[in-house]
Amino acid sequence: MAAVSQGFKADLLGAIPSLRAFAVSLTQNADKADDLVQETLVKAWDKHESFQPGTNLKAWLFTILRNEFYSQMRKRGREVQDSDGIMTARLAVHPAQHGQLDLKDFRGALEQLPEDQREAIILIGASGFSYEEAAEICGCAVGTIKSRVSRARTRLQEILKISGEDEYGPDAISAQVTAAH
Amino acid sequence: MKDMTKNILAGAAGRRRDGVGDPLGANSEIGRKLKQYYDELVSDNVPDRFARLLSQLEQAEPAQKKD
Repeated sequence: MAAVSQGFKADLLGAIPSLRAFAVSLTQNADKADDLVQETLVKAWDKHESFQPGTNLKAWLFTILRNEFYSQMRKRGREVQDSDGIMTARLAVHPAQHGQLDLKDFRGALEQLPEDQREAIILIGASGFSYEEAAEICGCAVGTIKSRVSRARTRLQEILKISGEDEYGPDAISAQVTAAH
Repeated sequence: MKDMTKNILAGAAGRRRDGVGDPLGANSEIGRKLKQYYDELVSDNVPDRFARLLSQLEQAEPAQKKD
């Protein structure tokens, strides 16, 4: 096995803040997140030869982290949340003041999303990955990522009662009705 | 606040077509919060344990020739 280069080590170090952010987004728990990052670094170190220099290291690391997260969840016998049908009962937090959405409320809303939607919206909306990269990280089709992002966004809007910024007409109309009351 | 609502609604009408292409853009409240949430996490101080871990991994490597 070839030695791990100093450059690779430095790149790993540099990626840690992003890895931790992604891990917290997935686990919603700081301690679990750091354990996950630790596992990811060990795995990345062990299989550094499978990384192709010149490709996106961050995407490679995110893939490892994500796989580790889901395999740990499976080991714990925890069923991976399904996107469909679990939300309705948990909707409705409280109305956000327009334009004054609190970060704490947002965090709470994000926590309510199923994992697959949460990771999709984080990868696309926050981590700066393209739909293609996110699809690769999640091992699914680009269209799947798009639909997860869209559902995540709609759900966040529902939970946070944000209205008026949706691209669909009916929502804008119902928002006007709500605002009138 | 009411004015803001109106602006958001007006913006939504104008962006209706573009909304699909950039659903999480800077004009979207969700997009902005998402970035704020994530940036806060990224800027969190990294515990020493990770640098120590990498040093340990490095030391654990058997001595070998460079490729």
